Order: sequence, then structure tokens, then C-alpha cells
Amino acid sequence: MPCGQGRHIVRWEAGTLRLPSHPDAEAELVLAALGGEKARCVELAETWGRHAEDLSVLAIGPRGPADEIAVSWDDVDAAAQAGQRGGRIGYRPLPGGPGRGPMRVASPSMPTAARAQARHQQDMQERERAARRRNDMLSLLALGYGFQVRLIGQVAQAHADRLDEATETETETAEAVTGVTGVTGVTGITPALVAAIAGRLAPVAEEWLGIDPDQVVVSLHRGSGWGSVELTGRGEQRRLRVSLPAGWLARVWAAGLALTGRHLVVAVERAGWPDARVLALRAPGTEPVPLDVHASQPDPVSGGRQVRPTAADAPHWEV
Amino acid sequence: MNREGGETFLRLLAETEMRDQLAPSPPPWRGGPGAGRVKVKLVGQALTAVRALDTDTVEDILADFDLAVSVRRLHGKAGQGPAGTGLPGAGLTGTMRAASAARLAAQVQFGRSGPLAPLALNRPPGSTGSPGSADPRDPPPPDHEPGQGAADRFVPLGLTVPLHHDGISGDLYLMSFAHTGSGARFIALWGKPTLSPQHELGLQNPELFPIGRFTVTDDRGSAYELDFTHGGGSEWISEINLHPAPPDDICWLEVAAPPSPAVRVDLTPAGGPPGGEPEVSEAALSPGEQLLIMLAEQLLTVAAQFPLAQRPGLPEISPRPVQAMGAGLGDVIAGLEAVDVLSPLSPIPARLAALCASLRIGGHGIAAAPADDLPERWLSLLAYYQRRKPDTAQVRDGYAAVTAALPELDGIRLALVGLHNTQGTTVLHVLARGVTREGRLGPFSVDLDFPLSFWLRDNGGRWHAAHPVGWNPSEPEHAIGLLLVPPLPRSTTWVEVLAGGRSAEVRTRLPLRWGFPS
Repeated sequence: MPCGQGRHIVRWEAGTLRLPSHPDAEAELVLAALGGEKARCVELAETWGRHAEDLSVLAIGPRGPADEIAVSWDDVDAAAQAGQRGGRIGYRPLPGGPGRGPMRVASPSMPTAARAQARHQQDMQERERAARRRNDMLSLLALGYGFQVRLIGQVAQAHADRLDEATETETETAEAVTGVTGVTGVTGITPALVAAIAGRLAPVAEEWLGIDPDQVVVSLHRGSGWGSVELTGRGEQRRLRVSLPAGWLARVWAAGLALTGRHLVVAVERAGWPDARVLALRAPGTEPVPLDVHASQPDPVSGGRQVRPTAADAPHWEV
Repeated sequence: MNREGGETFLRLLAETEMRDQLAPSPPPWRGGPGAGRVKVKLVGQALTAVRALDTDTVEDILADFDLAVSVRRLHGKAGQGPAGTGLPGAGLTGTMRAASAARLAAQVQFGRSGPLAPLALNRPPGSTGSPGSADPRDPPPPDHEPGQGAADRFVPLGLTVPLHHDGISGDLYLMSFAHTGSGARFIALWGKPTLSPQHELGLQNPELFPIGRFTVTDDRGSAYELDFTHGGGSEWISEINLHPAPPDDICWLEVAAPPSPAVRVDLTPAGGPPGGEPEVSEAALSPGEQLLIMLAEQLLTVAAQFPLAQRPGLPEISPRPVQAMGAGLGDVIAGLEAVDVLSPLSPIPARLAALCASLRIGGHGIAAAPADDLPERWLSLLAYYQRRKPDTAQVRDGYAAVTAALPELDGIRLALVGLHNTQGTTVLHVLARGVTREGRLGPFSVDLDFPLSFWLRDNGGRWHAAHPVGWNPSEPEHAIGLLLVPPLPRSTTWVEVLAGGRSAEVRTRLPLRWGFPS
């Protein structure tokens, strides 16, 4: 990525974003806090950290290799500059401003003016937050597909861990109080994770079974075991009902393992590179079988270190 | 209520819509660019309306949807989408142009791409604060606290108070007198004034509402200060509030604009409600059913304002705005079912499907087969829609003195205080307690602050739908203008009022006494 007058390498390794060209990033941050210039790589690492648990990453990021989102650093710069110029289009009347309401006979009272001012300030703050969020997302997307899927995996895993903790706590509580096991949803997390899995599993299922992506019904599996995959109904009523844990996104999908050797991979038994062992389904309704898989890394398609890694640079897994 | 189910439903809908919109060849029934966003927003509004989701959650989902679509659309590789629609590695080196990025910056400037609900109508600043009693003969009576055990009083008037002042001649039409816990007031309509030649030539600046000229005294000689609240717009409707509120047992008031003679206002009730006691029947609508009925009625009233497109030899087609309103109704119904506010056995979706069929709206996605038992009032409005022509004559201007206090419905108490025709429209004026003005608008801009189905049937058997077009919020009592569709002809001698809530339905019959402002 461009940084200062040159281009620097950014790596993602063992679950962490690394900046080889900035071995003491923390010291640079201190200097920046004292008025020095902050390196763009360091800014990016901060942005990554800000969004490492941001569920919006799941809604915006790619759904699979065919869904490549290509954003260049020039695009990021252009968007940032447009934002600074206030590239606002359209008109959004302030609440309480001129509109269809009854005619005002007298001038607005001071409290009314103060409220309008407060709303205006709130509007400005909201706009600034939105612009920063947009610029953050564009920067993260500009890193390329390889980083995009790893960030998705990191976000998904963070929330999967949270769900697991909640499940354990709720189960213990339920057992203590009622003597039975059972869990309830974790507010705000489950819907985003269900949609994230559905959006990424649907194209995989289409490739696996030829089923219409709209006929894939996803739920979140919680507790022990890998989940379930069943095919029900016929014709328009045909449904592939899939229940997978949130960690599937991180351990299977983000690693590029989702469909390997015509099998749907549902879990990773032993992670490794370039050899791993996974649990995979040959067909819906069957029990998963362990498979030993091997990855091959293609030659850099996108020009090596000069261009960000694309989906074509992703490893290819075979049984 | 299954709120988590609601958010999951909306997020999954956003996934589906993004997949369809970005596919290389989106199916034609999915609509053009933006159709997916409209659908997600519509369902989000519906789930917000039944309070299954909060506005922030819906706005966050829409903001993510917008950004997700924008970053995919603007890099010039249209059609590359998430649905397994392209080969890995195909077209991977392109980036969006800088100009596109700038456009993106502009488009997502707000992040949340616009308010979900349009703004609340403004409230006039309480009153003009103009004291009306220029020369009180006696000091005002001691402050009276109406509503402390006293019954509300609504009196239809139909009186004209003449005004001649400073080269201006005009009339103030008193439609009704209302005395509630919030105070006492006349509901009045200003007649168009006649100006002197000096005013006509612009040599003098006329005071069109010389409110300081008016005086009000009661049968005990007490004078009142007047406080005007203008209803706004071209309707020239005012509330003339009396301070302090008069005692409950006065028999008449005199309203004057000296030197013109005073007009006596008889406040003695004629004995019992004018059209007989209201009939109340029980209802048991779920929140989802209530919302769908509001949507259906909005669809009917919007449709009634557009003529059918007629082309020789071809079937009639609905105008584009009406067609557009149908998109996403099936998803709204599915969303309401997902949050458990609509039973799969409810008859309302089938009626909505029948309504869409009657309005020739396709692509609504409602799974239920069209019903064959549409409510009579829906059929009446459909008949009006289908027979109307663009050159339909406007109703003549006029006002009707009519008052009625309706029994409480879902915690809402309504009182009708007047009705008037102007510029081809009819507005019914009501006072409402038990509602809160939050500016909440639902799908199709239905006013969620007025969660009632409100209809009038005229003596010719035709039904007229009523929906709010103007609020003058004032806790705890709000003045609301309800637009009638179609407008009420001045030949109407009586109306039957039908107000429906979730728990009950109220019907009452009222005579109309028309006045004719020049």
C-alpha cells in the first residue's frame, strides 16, 4: 500500500495484521500524538482494529470469490477529498424546518431556534461519523480480497466467541435454575451473523447442489456439534435448511474451504497449511466425514507485491 | 413479539435484494436499480411501525446495504455479484474510477441515507398571542379549570361574524364551539376579505386578520381575551381560544368586531347528540392487521387521486405511483408474520391481494389468494377510482357546522368540530386526545401517530376515506385536519362516521348544516 513516498507491505499472519515496514508502530503512534505525522500504514492498522468486531464488515464485504470488490488507493483518496470538500448532494430539511406544516404566524421562539441549532449540530456529527466510517471501509476494502475475507473471519470469530461464552453462561444458569438446558439469542449479534452466513453459503450451495440461492434457509447453530444440513420439499417449496455455528465463517469460509472436492465443508478438525483435516458433507442429510485436504497456492495473478491480493491469489484446496 | 426475528428477516431480505440487484441479468420482476433498497426500506418501516425494530437498527441496515451496493456498482463491473454469478478471477484488476469514488462519497455522505420517516408537521408557535378583547367591559371571570369533572361541550354553530375595518370587509365563519379540558375555543374559518382601492393598489398594507378587533363576552357580561391559532396554509382555518375558559353553565356568548353588530352564539345543547348515540362494536385486530389496513386505505386514497391510464384497445393500467406502491407488500406481510404480529390465518393479506388485483397492481408478491369479500367502503372507493375522469368537476367551496364526540377508541378520544370544502378538497377538523405527535410515518407515508381507520359515508351511500393532512399539536389535545377522499359534495345532508381501531369500531350518524362563504 502507498505510505509516505513509497509503497509498504502489509501482512496478515496468524490472525494479526502486521506492518513489516513499521517495526515499532506504537512508538510512531506516540510521536503522532505529539504532533508528528502518522504513517498511512499505521493509520490503516488502527482502522483495522476499529473494525475488527464491526458487524457491518460482514454486510459490506465480499460474499465469495466471484464477488470481488475492487477499490484502489486512488479511489480512497478521491472519496476522502470529496468528503473534505463537503460533496453533499440533495437537501435534507432539518426536522422542524420549513415544510408542509401549518403556517407560522409569529417568529420562531428562542427555544425553537435552539432546538434547530442542536439538531443541526447533531446532523453534522452524524455526517462526520458516516464519512469516517465510509472512508474506513474503503481503506479496508482497498487492501484486496485476501485481507477482506480475513477481516470478515476475524469479525465473525470475535462474535462466535462471544456467543459461545453466552451459551455456556446461559446453559449453566438454566441448569442451575430449572434443571434443563436451553439457550436464548444474544441480542443484536445473531441476526447479523445469520445474514452473513446466508449471504456466503447461498452461492456455495448453488455451486454444490444447483439450488436457487433464495431457497437456502440458514439458522445459527449454538452449542456442541457442527450443526445440520437438510434438503426438504420439491419444486418451489424446495429448501436447503442449514444450521451452522458462527465460527464456520472464520474457520471454513474465510480459509477458502467452503466447497472442497464437491463436498460442503462444515468444520475444521485440524487446521494447518498446506495440509488440514476437515469435516465435510457429500450430500445434504448425511453425516459429515473427515477429509484430508491439501492447499496449493497459485502464482501471484495480480502482479506480486505491486498490487493487492485478489480472489485469484487465494489458495485452492483439494481432497 | 419476536424482535430478533424481525432484524434477521430484514437483514436476510437485504442479502437477497443485493444478490438479485447485482446479478448479471437481474430477473425483470425484481425491478430496476434501487428497487431492492426501496423494498428493504419499506419492510423496515413496517417493522418499525409495529415497534418490532427501532429506527436506528433499520437505518444501520440500510446504510450497510447502500455502501455494499455502491462499492460493487461503482467499479464499472456491473453484474459481478455475490450469487456465484461469475468466475473467480474474472475481471479482477479493474478499480472504480476516482470520479466514481467521489460520487460514492457524496452518495453515502450521510451514512444513513436519509430519514426513514419524513418530518413532523410544524406546530404553530402556540398562538399569535394577540389579545382580542380590546375594551373589556368587565374584568375576566376567575380562572376556571374545565375538565375537572365537567363534561366536554361541542356545539355546532354555523354563524357569520361581519368585519369592516380600515378599508377591509370580510367575514369570520364560526363552525363550532369546543370546550374541553384543554380550554374553550371557536373553530373558525376566515372568509376572503374585500379590500379598499388603496389596498388593491398596494398603497396600504392590509392586516388580513385583524384579530385585535374582535371581542367576546358572555351572558354575565364577562369579557374574554382571545388567542388565535392559525391552522395554516390556504385553508384559513383558525382556533380562537378564550382566556380564561368560560364557566360551564353559561348559555351564550356574543362575538363582535365593532362597529359591526355582535353575533350571539347559543351554547345550549339541543338535547342529546345530534345524530343519536354512537354504536360501538368490538374488534380484535393484531398490530400487523391494523398496519395492513392502514396501507390498504393509503393505497386506495392515493389511487383515487390518479385517473386510470386509458389507451384505446388496450387494458387500463394503473398510474406509476400506484404501481410502485404494490412492490414489496408480500415482503411486508412476511416480515409482520416473522415478528408474530400477523397470524398466517389473517384474512387481511387476501383482501390486500384482491385490492391490488382491482387496482391492476402486479408484482406485489402477496402469497395469499385474492379474497372475494372486500369491505364495502373499499369497494366504494374502488368504484370511484374506476369511474372517475380527469375532468371531474370540483366540489364547491363551503363549510358544514358539525360536531360529535366519539367514544374512546384504543385510548384515543376524537371530537369532530367542523368540515369545510376549499379548492376541490374536503377537510374534516377533529380534536384528538390520547395521541402523541412524534412524526412517525410508516410505509407509503401512513401517519402512524393517527392509528385509526376513519371513514365517512354520505347520504348517497358513497364512502370517503379520511387521513391526516395537518396537525396542530398541543398536548394533551391536538387539532388535526383529515382530508376526505373523494371530497364531500355540498349536497350531502348527513354523514355516517366510522372510526376503527384495534379493539373496537364506532359508528355515528350526523346531520350537516352547510354554510356558504363567498
